[in-house]
Amino acid sequence: MLLCDFHIHTTYSDGSVELRRTIDLYGQAGFDAIAITDHVVNGDNPIGRLAHRFRYSVTRENFAAYMGHIREEAGRAWDKYRMLVIPGVEISKNHLTPDKSAHMLIIDVHDFIPACMSFEEIFVEAKRQNALTVACHPHYMSAASDRNTLFLWNNREKYARYIDAWEIANRDDVFNVISLKKYPYIANSDFHKPRHLYSWKTLLNCEKDTDSIKRCIRHNKGVALTLFRN
Amino acid sequence: MILTIVFMGIAMIGLAGCLLQLMAVRAYTATPRCGEGDSLPRTFPPVSILKPLKGLDDSLFDNLESFCNLDYPKYEIIFALQNRNDPAWKVVRKIKDKYPLLDITIAVEYCEEGLNPKVKNLIPAYARAKYDLILVSDSNVRVEKAYLSSITGHMADPAVGLVSNMIRGVGGRSAGAVLENLHLNSFIVGSVCFLDKYLGMPCVIGKSMLMRRTDLDAIGGFRAVRDFLAEDYIIGKRIHDLGRKVVLSGHLINNVNEYWGIRRFLNRHTRWARLRWHIGGARYLSELAGNAVFMSFVPLLISPASKMAAFFAAAVSSFKVAHDYYIGRKLRTGMNPLFYLVSPLKDLVIGLTWFVPVVSNTVAWRDNRYIIGRDSLLSPCHETGPAARWPGIISAIRSRLAWSKP
Repeated sequence: MLLCDFHIHTTYSDGSVELRRTIDLYGQAGFDAIAITDHVVNGDNPIGRLAHRFRYSVTRENFAAYMGHIREEAGRAWDKYRMLVIPGVEISKNHLTPDKSAHMLIIDVHDFIPACMSFEEIFVEAKRQNALTVACHPHYMSAASDRNTLFLWNNREKYARYIDAWEIANRDDVFNVISLKKYPYIANSDFHKPRHLYSWKTLLNCEKDTDSIKRCIRHNKGVALTLFRN
Repeated sequence: MILTIVFMGIAMIGLAGCLLQLMAVRAYTATPRCGEGDSLPRTFPPVSILKPLKGLDDSLFDNLESFCNLDYPKYEIIFALQNRNDPAWKVVRKIKDKYPLLDITIAVEYCEEGLNPKVKNLIPAYARAKYDLILVSDSNVRVEKAYLSSITGHMADPAVGLVSNMIRGVGGRSAGAVLENLHLNSFIVGSVCFLDKYLGMPCVIGKSMLMRRTDLDAIGGFRAVRDFLAEDYIIGKRIHDLGRKVVLSGHLINNVNEYWGIRRFLNRHTRWARLRWHIGGARYLSELAGNAVFMSFVPLLISPASKMAAFFAAAVSSFKVAHDYYIGRKLRTGMNPLFYLVSPLKDLVIGLTWFVPVVSNTVAWRDNRYIIGRDSLLSPCHETGPAARWPGIISAIRSRLAWSKP
């Protein structure tokens, strides 16, 4: 089984750990596959504009540098740790109300996808790039958090067919509604700080290459959850 | 006024000490030593490298891998851990898989003997060692290919019983790591060179110690130092008492400190302060007197409005920045020159930690807490008093106040 984490932030957005150290943290911890998924925030409202202002978002301008850096580190991770690193982004549509907010991972992304596009356009573009789409923390999170993102769950009848998998667990939160609906699932850390390494993770029974991993998640066979602890 | 002049005088003595340190470092780096073109005999006896491990040090994989690429004919590496749950176990498994032709042993054995966690790892590793030369090397050091050949050259002299190495702090990418590296590359390096050159007292730095098995057995092996915090100092002292020479190699090794937090920096230096207090006795006083920056700020506390005191503190701080920068250049640490500007701040913090042993005799080390006694002898600390309660209370308050996702 491959030990995987597909939701990781670095200093390219609001993570506190730079990319190189993130790779070393996961590599030394024995992970087999990870996806780097920094935020791409919508810039069409004041919240998004603030995120852009404080450089908490990957933008069209630095996307090439971001991808180049991930590719470079992916080579190092493979040589050193035999760990697969997949480039991705977290499309973050932030609004004042949780009902309108949604975050989704685009894993194995190739070209920049602006977060201000409509959901349909984003899904179509992700499919065009043969990227994996994952709905992040789709339900109510722990009481301490006021940043729920419920739009995709509330509109699941409309969007579920576009979504390859749903996060059934995110860091310390578990969303059992995903299980009840029998949606395809994965579990991620939503890594921002080193301590977030110790959280829910995905185990995959497939070959260690990007296509096999995407196929395994889409078919949702040979997928298991594990609570990774130090 | 008299007090002000007294403290200024002490600070001036401290500055003189800094100058002597600077000259000693200059002499150390200018003299070609073993492995750098001197005339020591070149022999290559096989070596057992013992690597005690616990947790993930910064760049652990790279540090350990540097020992797999040594330019040396025959050596073995023994990675020693207390249990397989230690995250370092996965790293050494990867190292072993990557270098299948190297003689690598992973010794996973829980050792109940002793209180020093490093020695607890060394005891089972030493039992597995095959060769006569034993090298103890910490997990946070990174070495160059010529490391082993340069230090074993000293062992051609039968009078030499222990070879240690000077360290330089590299890789600081966080505030705590920068402070740590500044301290290593100024106070530690300066003091070690000063003691070696002017007082003929080579210090043993536990990060790299090469010994003969016969000498180690003669002092009782690692079991004899299992309850000492400063096991390196005790080993060096006992080997010296055997009539063997303790020498400092000219080969610099890198101590990699990349992502330390301030708390870790403070924890280490309060621990080391307690250690030196119990080892050094009256000599410990000289450390405070030698901290020129700290002493130069005392007159400012006595008379805050004094322009002379302010000017004096600024002048001493400027001198110390230049001093540390010079030593850093000599050691080729590669540190950003701007970081040297915080050197006076670091000296002030270190000056404050000097007082910690006066009020506390317990140390926290690798998740354990001990009471420290004479010669750094440890005894278990069963916390039941306020010291045990306060951290829990503070932690509880912090979690109550947390509003974001913890």
